[in-house]
Parts: sequence; structure tokens; C-alpha cells
Amino acid sequence: MKILVLALAVAIFSVALSAPVTARAEDIRNPLGLDAAAADEGRKLYDALGCVACHGNNARGAVGPDLTDNEWLRAPSDEMIFNVIKNGRSGTLMSPFRDVAPDEQIWQLVTYLRDENRKRREAGEFR
Amino acid sequence: MNTTSPAKYLRLVAALAGIAAATGAGTASAQRAVTDQMLLNAQNDGANWIMAPRDYSSTRYSPLAQIDTRNARRLVPVWTFSLGVLDAQNTTPLVLDGVMYVTSAHGRIYAVDARTGTMKWMYAHPMPEDIGKMLCCDVGNRGAALYADKVFYVTPDSHVIALNRETGKVVWDVVLGDYKKAYTMTVAPLVVKGKVVVGMSGAEYPTRLYIEALDSETGQQAWRRYTIPGPGEPGFDTWGTTDPDAWKFGGGSAWITGSYDPTLDTLYWSTGNPNPDWDGHGRVGDNLYTNSTLALDPDTGEIKYHYQYTPWDVWDYDGVNETILADIGGERVWLHGDRNGLLYKVDRTNGKLIWGKEISKVNWMTGFTPEGRPIINQDMVPTYDKVVKGVCPASEGGKWWNPMALDPNRSIVVVPSREICADLKAGKTERIEGRYNLGLAEANWEKGHGQLIAFDIRTGEKIWTVQAPSPFTSGVLTTAGGLTFAGTPEGQFSAYDTATGKRLWSYQTGSGIVGSPMSFSVDGRQYIAVPSGWGGWTGWATWGGKGGSPHLKDNRKGGYVTVFALFDK
Repeated sequence: MKILVLALAVAIFSVALSAPVTARAEDIRNPLGLDAAAADEGRKLYDALGCVACHGNNARGAVGPDLTDNEWLRAPSDEMIFNVIKNGRSGTLMSPFRDVAPDEQIWQLVTYLRDENRKRREAGEFR
Repeated sequence: MNTTSPAKYLRLVAALAGIAAATGAGTASAQRAVTDQMLLNAQNDGANWIMAPRDYSSTRYSPLAQIDTRNARRLVPVWTFSLGVLDAQNTTPLVLDGVMYVTSAHGRIYAVDARTGTMKWMYAHPMPEDIGKMLCCDVGNRGAALYADKVFYVTPDSHVIALNRETGKVVWDVVLGDYKKAYTMTVAPLVVKGKVVVGMSGAEYPTRLYIEALDSETGQQAWRRYTIPGPGEPGFDTWGTTDPDAWKFGGGSAWITGSYDPTLDTLYWSTGNPNPDWDGHGRVGDNLYTNSTLALDPDTGEIKYHYQYTPWDVWDYDGVNETILADIGGERVWLHGDRNGLLYKVDRTNGKLIWGKEISKVNWMTGFTPEGRPIINQDMVPTYDKVVKGVCPASEGGKWWNPMALDPNRSIVVVPSREICADLKAGKTERIEGRYNLGLAEANWEKGHGQLIAFDIRTGEKIWTVQAPSPFTSGVLTTAGGLTFAGTPEGQFSAYDTATGKRLWSYQTGSGIVGSPMSFSVDGRQYIAVPSGWGGWTGWATWGGKGGSPHLKDNRKGGYVTVFALFDK
């Protein structure tokens, strides 16, 4: 029985690791999707809010993680990215931005990050 | 701008004492008080390392010689200690009588048995959840200070805290600035004549920063020295007339520990860049006293004299780095490695330049006037209308903040450094308190490399250079055993022969090294300690263009102290 449970756990873990960067069905989806104008606004916000200081130019990573690759510890949903920007991550440098960015702007940032990931996938960077 | 007296905020926080972990509290044996005489004699006390720069001259030179060039290859790790948090571990551990006092990122401090690595107590300052976005360069801390029965350290949200050394309980806790306006702190305090001296960070934001001295017993303010003069004070007229408020928000940070010469009764403390960093259009003039070393009266904070390394800094060269006090023949000098690419020797009795030598390629200036003032190369000044190509060095040096070390017996100073240039374009950015204000429209770092360089302090000539793929991001330790210790962003910690630069030993610590090694002894056995844990400002590595060291993107974080000794079997 223990072996079966272990095998099941490994299988689930493997699926999780190989899962594409897409939202799960139960998650709140980004209402802006991949809208080009929203992505452009998100790019401006990324610089203006200082995200660039930790996550680097074009969110490609610096002292903070790359936000546009496929190497996340857990495949993030739109909702998870939104919540991290809004509420921060305790115990890390990631601050909450809810007091300076309304929800609409946070969704624009999510769109921007998704769009950067799309560009890299389409350029064949992750093969 | 913060003008509020810290006395208003002075408060005993006995209630917070419960946050200190109880582990071992009350069970430690009584510890001897740290006296002025012990601080004045720190350079001769090999067993202990009782201030972050090691001694009042900031030599980072240990007189211990049990570990030397012949046996360094037998160094082995004897214990490791987890700092419990990730991000920039910028600290220098202290040791007194077999107890290590080490700060970490995220506002923590630990007391650890220096023989075994067993924790005696821990204090975790409760950090505000939004501190991260008020820090330009990570949430690190550069070390503690000891005096009487207390240990002192600062927190990112601008608290200065005194703890009982034996129990880890808070004695006093003073707030020196409003972190929500980016008045933040990382500095290792320096205790001089019973006063705890600290300096503020925050010059990437609109701030007016200061050096401050507190009574070590009570935390009461003794003096505050703004690094930017106010109306009517000498130097106020160096901020131009384009923007009448430029001086109110002109930065001038002070986040590196100063030095003290008891024979001259003078405190030497260096200051950082003006704000906005790369846009000088609104602050035309020398912008005193940014990018300078100030010679201060330690009793009053009055400025006796100064030397300014980069007048009207428009490259973020940030002259905040340490000064090493050295006596060379008949000369009484300070040595200062600057992010502007130059190693300086300055007469510390009057602030007059003796020489400036290139650490790395320099093209922002073309030489010095007879008075010792740099001659600016106008072709390298960032403007709004074009990208200036190939500015050398990039804003991180030369020598970045990580402290260099002196070997007084060999007349050598060993400088951790880098060779990286950048393309820059200034930009007009909006001045909002609590928000980044860099004055930068474009920055592309060229591919670069690291250098560990030994200079002859008599002549300024380079004796040897060790090259590496990445900048040397650790502080440096030299020892009487003829060894130089330094570390890299990849986490490699190495011992070199101070005379030749030959690498004798190396160890992979597990994460990038951005703190400083130190040495101590207990029961006659010499130890070497080094913190590791990657973090800090790393834009130079990965931002734009090729990036100075692009392989460091997403470099692995950590949080350890590793302690080494000779294999004894």
C-alpha cells in the first residue's frame, strides 16, 4: 500500500512538473487575457512600480526570479500571480502592491508577464 | 525628508523581548564588558573580532598565523550555521570570548557558540510586510557592534536596537527614519567613546540622509550630521539653482561603517551618491557632501574637512566605501577604493589627495588638477538626448562596496573588484517620496569579469591580479599567516598567498558570497568564518545589453555561516 501511495505521489508530482503554464479550471482567469494594449500598460507599470529592480529588464530575472520562463516551482495560475503581486510573499523581498496598484493594473501586469512568456515560447527558447 | 528627532520615538520595548528565542537565555556564563580600551586595542587581539571592520583602522587584517601559506590546503569545515532566511547575507560575523554574534538578512541577529555552531539565542525584529519595495538593494545587513554588555545592530526599517549580549533581550529600540519614505538601514554600527554611530541608506529614492550618533546606554541622540548642508551652511550653494528643492531630496547615503583615528580624535565616514542617480540636470554643482569621505568630530558630528571623489556624480559611483587608515613611513593616510574605478590615498590629517590609481579602466575623468580634483570627461556625461557608449567603469566599480583588506606588514591592500563598462542615457523621472528616482532612461552593461587585485600601498602599483568570470563580491580578509581570503558570486571561497596571488585552497559554500570573512581563535585553535547567501543589487549582472555576468541570473540563494579550521588528525 505504501508503495502504491508513493507511486501515486510521484506520478502526481511528475505531472505537476510537466504541466504547461496555464490556469487551472477553478482559478480566477485574467479578465484581460493576452490583450496587447493591456500588456503594453503592464510593461510600463513593471518599470514604474520598481519591479525591474529585483526581477530585471523584461522580467528576465536578476536577484529576484525570472517571471517569464517555464521554470517555476509550481506552474502558476493567473490568480496566483495576481495574488502574489497584490499581497506579496511573506519571508521574501516580495512586497504587497495593493496600496499602490488597483486590481486593473495588477491584471495588466499579469498580462504583461504572460505575454513575455508567450514571446519566448514562440521564439523556441524553451525547447 | 525626515527631520523628526529620534528621541520622540525612543521607547523601551520590553514587550518585544518575548520575540527573542529563549534558547539558552539565562544559562550563558557571565560575559565580560567590552571597554573603550578593548576597542582601541582590537587590532592586537587576534582571538576576538569585536567590530565589523575588525579595528578602528578598518584593516580586516587578523594577526593570527596558525593557518598559513604552507598548511592552508588542510582547511576543512568544522561547522555550519543556518541563518534561517534567504536573500543578501552581507554581514561580517563578530566573535568575543568564544561567542559569535552574526546578523542576517530580514532583520535577524544570532548568538552562536563559536566552537560548535550551536545557537545560544536569536532575535527576530518584526519586519513590516512592505519593506521590500522600499529597499533599492535587497534586505541585507552588514553586521553588529559590541560595547559594554550590549550588542547593537540596525534593521531595514531603520531601527537601531541594543540587545543584552548574554540573553538576547532588547534593552532599547530607536527608530531613526521613516522606511515608507525609503529611509532604510543596513550599516554595521561603530562604537566610539560610548556612542553608537550609524548611517542611513536610501539615495536611490528622494531622501536627505545622515550619519547619527546615539548614546550606547540609552539610545538617545547625541548628534545627527546631514550629509547635505541646509540653507546657510557651507556647501549649500553646490546644489545649483535649476531645482530649488534638489538639496532636500539629494540622497547622500552613509551605509558603510566608518573608521576612527584616536590620535587625531577624528571619525572618517564616507557618503554615497546624489539623487537622482544618473540625471544631474536639476542639481548642477558639486553636490556636497555626496561621494565624499567626511572627517568628523566624534563628539559633535561637526565636519573638520572632507575629500570628494566624484563631484556632481552622474554615474551612480556612490563614494560610500570604507576608508582604511594606514601609516606608511611618515604618511598618515586613508585608503579608499571607489566605485568610480580609482584607489585613493589621502592625507588623513587634512583631506588632501596624495594619489589616485586605476583599479579598473577609467574614462569618466582624465586626471587630477594640482589641487586633487578630478578632471571630468564631458564626453562620458549621460544626457537626455543620446546614449553615451562605453562609460568606464559601470556604476558598480572598480570596487563595489565589499570591503578590501590591508596587510600592514607587507604594505599591501587587496581589493575585490570588477572590470565592467556600460552604455548610459539619462532620463527625467518623477520625484515621489518612497518611489525609485534613478534619472535613468537606458542602461546596458557590457560583458565583464572579476578581479582581485593587490596594490602596493606605498606606490599604488599593482603587485598581482587574479581574474575570475564574475566580480569578487565578498569582502576580503588578510592574515598574519600570509593569506588572503575572498569569495565569488558562485559561492567559491578561496585562500590566496598574499605575496603572490597564488590560489592555495578553495571550498564551495553553496550560495553566492556577498558578506565578509573573518578569523578568530578559541582555546588556541584558529578559525576562519564566512557568510554566504546570494543577493543585493545585481542589476550589473543581468540588466540590459550583455549584462556584466549573465550567468548569474537567478543565482541560487542561501543563508549560512561556514567555519573552517585545520584538519587536526
